[in-house]
Amino acid sequence: MRSGDFKETYGELVALTDSKPVWLWSAALVAALIVAPFLLNSYILSFLIIILITVVGALGLNILTGYTGLISLGHVGFLVTGAYAYAVVVSKYGMPPLVGFLAAGIVPALASLVVGAPSLRLKGLYLAITTLAFSFIINTVILEARTLTNGARGIPVQRPKILGVSFDSDVAFTHLCLGFAIVTLFATLNIRRSRVGRAFVAIRDNDTAARVMGINLHAYKLFAFVTSAFITGIAGALYGIYLSFVSVEGFPFLLSIEALAILIVGGLGSALGAVLGTILIVLLPEATRMVFSLFSAQMDALFSTGAQELKSMLYGLVIILFLRFQPRGLVGAWHDIRRLWVNWPLRY
Amino acid sequence: MQYLIQLLISGLAIGAIYGLIAMGFAVIYKSTGLVNFAQGEMTMIVAYIAWTISTTVSGNVFVVAVGAILTAIVLGLVIERVVMRPMLGEPVFATVMVTIGLAVILRSSINFIWDAYPHGLDLGVGRDIVRIGDIGVRTGQMAVIATLLLLLAAVWAFFRYSKFGIAMRAVAADDRTALLMGISATRVHAIAWAASSVIAGIAGVFFAISYDLSPAMFQLGLKSFPATILGGLDAVLGSGVGGLLIGITENLAGGYLGSGMKEVAGFAMIIVVLMIRPFGIFGERDIERV
Repeated sequence: MRSGDFKETYGELVALTDSKPVWLWSAALVAALIVAPFLLNSYILSFLIIILITVVGALGLNILTGYTGLISLGHVGFLVTGAYAYAVVVSKYGMPPLVGFLAAGIVPALASLVVGAPSLRLKGLYLAITTLAFSFIINTVILEARTLTNGARGIPVQRPKILGVSFDSDVAFTHLCLGFAIVTLFATLNIRRSRVGRAFVAIRDNDTAARVMGINLHAYKLFAFVTSAFITGIAGALYGIYLSFVSVEGFPFLLSIEALAILIVGGLGSALGAVLGTILIVLLPEATRMVFSLFSAQMDALFSTGAQELKSMLYGLVIILFLRFQPRGLVGAWHDIRRLWVNWPLRY
Repeated sequence: MQYLIQLLISGLAIGAIYGLIAMGFAVIYKSTGLVNFAQGEMTMIVAYIAWTISTTVSGNVFVVAVGAILTAIVLGLVIERVVMRPMLGEPVFATVMVTIGLAVILRSSINFIWDAYPHGLDLGVGRDIVRIGDIGVRTGQMAVIATLLLLLAAVWAFFRYSKFGIAMRAVAADDRTALLMGISATRVHAIAWAASSVIAGIAGVFFAISYDLSPAMFQLGLKSFPATILGGLDAVLGSGVGGLLIGITENLAGGYLGSGMKEVAGFAMIIVVLMIRPFGIFGERDIERV
C-alpha cells in the first residue's frame, strides 16, 4: 500500500511523473487520439481539431501568465502574427510549410521582444494594458502593410504537404495538430521542471525575492515572452490553416479573453489545467446549445442568431463563476477528487 | 491653419469623453486598487438606457439626465454588490479578471436587450453649431469639455479635502489598516463604483449626443486606457488631462497620417510613455517593501 510520496534524489523530485500507470494511460490516450479521427464524423472531428489547436495556444499563454505571472491581454496579437507569417511565407512566396511553421514561431517571438522590452519596467495591470495596446497596433500594422499582407482582403491558405506527406484530409490534419499539441505539451512540462521553469515560478511568486536569489529578471521575463509568443504563433499558423483563410477578422479580440478564460477555468500555472480548460471552453458553447435546444426550438433559434454574443457571455460567466467558487480551476477540483478517492474514508 | 484648429477642437471634444471615462477608471483604482475593465461597457449601457428613456418616457433633457444618473448609480451599486463584493480580499489578478468577465457579459447583453443597429440620441440640444471667428463648434462639444473640467475640479477637491475622500484613499492604500481605523471598506467600494458609473454614464450620454449609439461603443473604454495610463492609474487629474492629450493626438494622427493611425495613435503613445515613465506622467511611483 502506498503510504506517501517519498522522494530520495533530486532527479525524482523533478521527474515528469513517478508512476508507471500515468505513462501507460497517457500512451493509451495518445493511441486513442490517433485512431479517433478515422471513426468520428467530420462535425465532431472539427471540435477535436479546434481543441488540439487551442491547446497549443493555451499552453503558450500558460508559460507567460501561468508560470511567470505576467498578464497578457493581447495574446491574439501573437496568434495573428503567427498566422500571417505562415500565410505570407507559404502562400505568397511558395516556401515549404516547415519554413512557414518556423516563421510562424520566429516572427511573433521577435514581435514579443518589442512588447516584452517595456514589460521589464511595468508591473501587473500596466503590463496587461500594454499587451492589449500591442494587439490593436499589430492589427493596424497588418492592415496597413498591404504589399505583404493584402491588407483587409486576407490571404487564402492551403492545407500543407510536409516531406511528401499531404495533410489535406481532415484526418491527416488532425494528426498534424495532435503532433504539435503533444510536442508543445512535452516542451512546456519540461520547461516547467527545468531551471528556467523554476525561475519563472519564482518570478511569479515574488519578483523582488526572485531577484534577490540571483535570477536575472530581465532575461527571464523576456525569455518567457519569447517562448510564449513562439508557441502561440505556431497555434496561430495552425488556426489559419484550419480556417483556410487568414484575415484580421478571423482573429477577434475575444480570442484573448477566451485564452485567459481557459487558463482560469483549467487552473493557472498548470499544463494539465490548460488542457482541461481548453476542452471545457471549446465544448461549452456547443454543450449549452444542446441543453437549451432540448427545451425549445425558440432557444435554438436564439443560439443561431446571436451565437457570437452568447459565446462571449458564456466565457464571461465561466470566468466569474470559476474565480468565485473554484479559484484553483478544474485541476484543483481534480486534485481534490483524487485525494478523496485515494484516502476515503479518511480525510487525509 | 483652420484645418488644424478644427482638428484640435474636435480632438479636445472626443478627448474630454476619454478623459471622463479615464476619470472613472481612476476613481475606482484610487479607492479599490483595481482596474475596472468593464468601464467602457458601463458607459455604453447607461447611454443605451438614456436613449430608451428619451424614446419611451420623455425627450426632455432634464428628465433624461436625471434618469440616466439614477440608473448609473443603481448599475454601479448592483455590480459592486453582486459581482465585486464577494471578491473582496482576493488577489488583484482574480478581481481584475472578474471585471473582464463582467465586461464581456455586459457587452454582449446589448445585442439581446436592444439591437445591433446604431441609434441617434436626439434631445434637441448639443447639435447646434456656434461660430467663433470662422471655426464652428458644436454646443455639445463645448458642454462636454466644460463638464470634464468641472468634474475634474470637484473630484480632485473631494479626494483632497473631504473626509470620505481621504477614507477612500486609505482603503486603496491598505484595506486592512483602513478597516482597523474604523473605515467601512465595503461602503467605500460601493460609493466608488456608483461614482465611477455615474462619470462613465455622463461620458456615454455626451458621446451619444455628439455621435451615435452603437454596440461598438464599448471600444470607448479600450481607447480610454491610454488616457488613464498616460495620466497614471491613481491620478484623477492626470486622467482628465491624459484624455485631452490622447484625443488631440488621435485626431492629429487621423488628420495628417491617415485613418489607420487614428485608431492606434493613443496606444502607440502609451507604449512610448510607459517606457520612459512606467507609472504614467502624473502617477505616483509604488514603493515596495519586501
